[in-house]
Amino acid sequence: MEPMVTEPQVLRAGEPGDERVQSVASPVAPVRTVSKSPTRIALARLRRDRIAMICAAICVAYVLIAIFAPLLARLAGQNASDLHQDLIDEFGFPTIGPTSEHWFGVEPRLGRDLFARWVYGARPSLIVAVAVTTITTIIGVVVGLVAGFSGGWVDRVLSWLIDLVLSLPYLLFAIASSAVLVAIFGGPDGAGSEDVAQIRFISLICVLSFFGWASLARLVRGQVLSLREREFVAAAKVLGIPTRQVLFKELLPNLVAPIVVSVSLALPGYVVAEAGLTVLGAGLIEPTPSWGLTISAATTYYRADPLYLWLPVLGITILVLALSLLGDAVRDAFDPRTRR
Amino acid sequence: MLIYILRRIASAVSVVIVTLVASFGLFFVAPTDPAGTICGQRCTPERYADISASLNLDEPVVQQVGEYLKGLAVGRTYHSGGLTIECDAPCLGYSYTLGQPVTKLIGQALPVTVSIVLGGAVVYLIAGILGGIIAARRRGTYLDRLMVGTSLGINAVPYFVVALLVSLYVTFLPHAGYHPLLENPLTWATGLLAAWLTLGLANAASYTRYARASMIETLGEDYIRTARAKGISERRVVYRHGLRAAITPIATIFGLDLAFQLTGAIFTEAMFGLPGLGVLTLRAFNQYDLPVLMGGVLIGSVVLVAMNLLVDILYTILDPRVRLG
Repeated sequence: MEPMVTEPQVLRAGEPGDERVQSVASPVAPVRTVSKSPTRIALARLRRDRIAMICAAICVAYVLIAIFAPLLARLAGQNASDLHQDLIDEFGFPTIGPTSEHWFGVEPRLGRDLFARWVYGARPSLIVAVAVTTITTIIGVVVGLVAGFSGGWVDRVLSWLIDLVLSLPYLLFAIASSAVLVAIFGGPDGAGSEDVAQIRFISLICVLSFFGWASLARLVRGQVLSLREREFVAAAKVLGIPTRQVLFKELLPNLVAPIVVSVSLALPGYVVAEAGLTVLGAGLIEPTPSWGLTISAATTYYRADPLYLWLPVLGITILVLALSLLGDAVRDAFDPRTRR
Repeated sequence: MLIYILRRIASAVSVVIVTLVASFGLFFVAPTDPAGTICGQRCTPERYADISASLNLDEPVVQQVGEYLKGLAVGRTYHSGGLTIECDAPCLGYSYTLGQPVTKLIGQALPVTVSIVLGGAVVYLIAGILGGIIAARRRGTYLDRLMVGTSLGINAVPYFVVALLVSLYVTFLPHAGYHPLLENPLTWATGLLAAWLTLGLANAASYTRYARASMIETLGEDYIRTARAKGISERRVVYRHGLRAAITPIATIFGLDLAFQLTGAIFTEAMFGLPGLGVLTLRAFNQYDLPVLMGGVLIGSVVLVAMNLLVDILYTILDPRVRLG
């Protein structure tokens, strides 16, 4: 619901970051209302949402696990790369289940500690998702702002580029281009396995970023196209404010809602993309501890050693579930139409 | 209308051409040694020279692209180990690792992907739209909330996890495998059943929500009230009057989804071991089979661009409100 406002144009001209106390003139009696920025209103709504808070807590827990992975592993007295061949029988199956020494048991074949692999596995998922989301958001916002604001041939070129990226077959191209990236930055047999794993890690981030920015850029461009005709932009131009400042100080605060929505969809999306590509064998590779890698290795042992498969599956599923539900809540909170 | 279609076709063609040039640049110019990569680990100097010459790697880049385009139009000839291989008209290159023309490999893979995606589409369209109608008609009841909740839950689980778990644990379905439709339609259907159900039910979850939202909006329209007031049976009101209008937005989403799935059915293919386009590309990735990678990407983008074009054109026909200047 809109608050009592007599001069909507004046209010709309302000930025969302505007937190002045405004006295709204009324013919009967002066009413003092505190105007809150849309972002503050949204955050307040979010705090009242119990599911959102639970999901946020789960996400924070994952982040903490990822940050303190070495500490957690040391707490269990293990690390992610030690081989425990003594716990593996001649067929490659582990001879022990979860014990006080190996909390989640050990891997078949190599006998690495599963608890340590699991806590370290939170890292690539989160790093890839956060890195790609950050990169795509920055590129998408900048391209969208520039395309929408400048118009003319700049807009035409950038829009065409956006359309091009959006019409590429994403998965096929992701697989193909990471093959090439790996070939460029160190062939399959040239470098050591640590280096190749590192290259694959970076190339995965590059590939996902390359395909990710376009949809946000299109969204931002559309918003800017309508915003740039508004009075406050005209006013800023008349005042002689430099274009860069108009873009980032005047327009950007008005784009908070679509950007937040896009980020809320992107984070779980990239967790899934990383894990999915890794499971297919086109993402991260050994020796990086990654849930996707564990899943793809565990599919052969799913009957003999269900825990081996289910731990990373649950790890990813719960993370994605929490991120998506939190994202839904954030979208609802930022969507003025669902305000109660 | 005609001008609009022509303009869309022109832009679609421009995208495909740029994709071709860009992927050509990516695959054959950027890596230091494409011939060596294609040739593989046990590479003899003769074979290396063969491949280099066949791919015109010693010529300027423009000429290489020209040769590739010429191969697409009229075919070209490759040399491998003293053998001469004729690659017929739409020639996408020659896979030295598999010893077969890329066009043939893709020709074998594409029907698999199309079968999976179309069969899955039948499942999710029927289940999703029916589910959406039921939920919309019982809006606000426990059944409605249960359906929406379930569908959100299913969609929150990553698709590859769903496909993986189904392929591992759901053992009562017939063993997945691809048999050509024309040889035996029954084995074709049973072999694909697991993939259809997985793809279908995972997508049915989101289609239930689309159909529900669209149906609720339509059922609130004045003409539905008029239809009810005329005394038409509720079934007729919902399915004849309501569904007809509610289906348009779903058709748009469906078109885009179909295009995406044709190039992205890779998880379904990989988990059920079906040799489609995605699995072909994946195999090419693992063996650094550049010609196949290039062909897969190219065909993928042609399919995607063509589907998007088709959706845009069909939309103007489906929805009479869309008028083009």
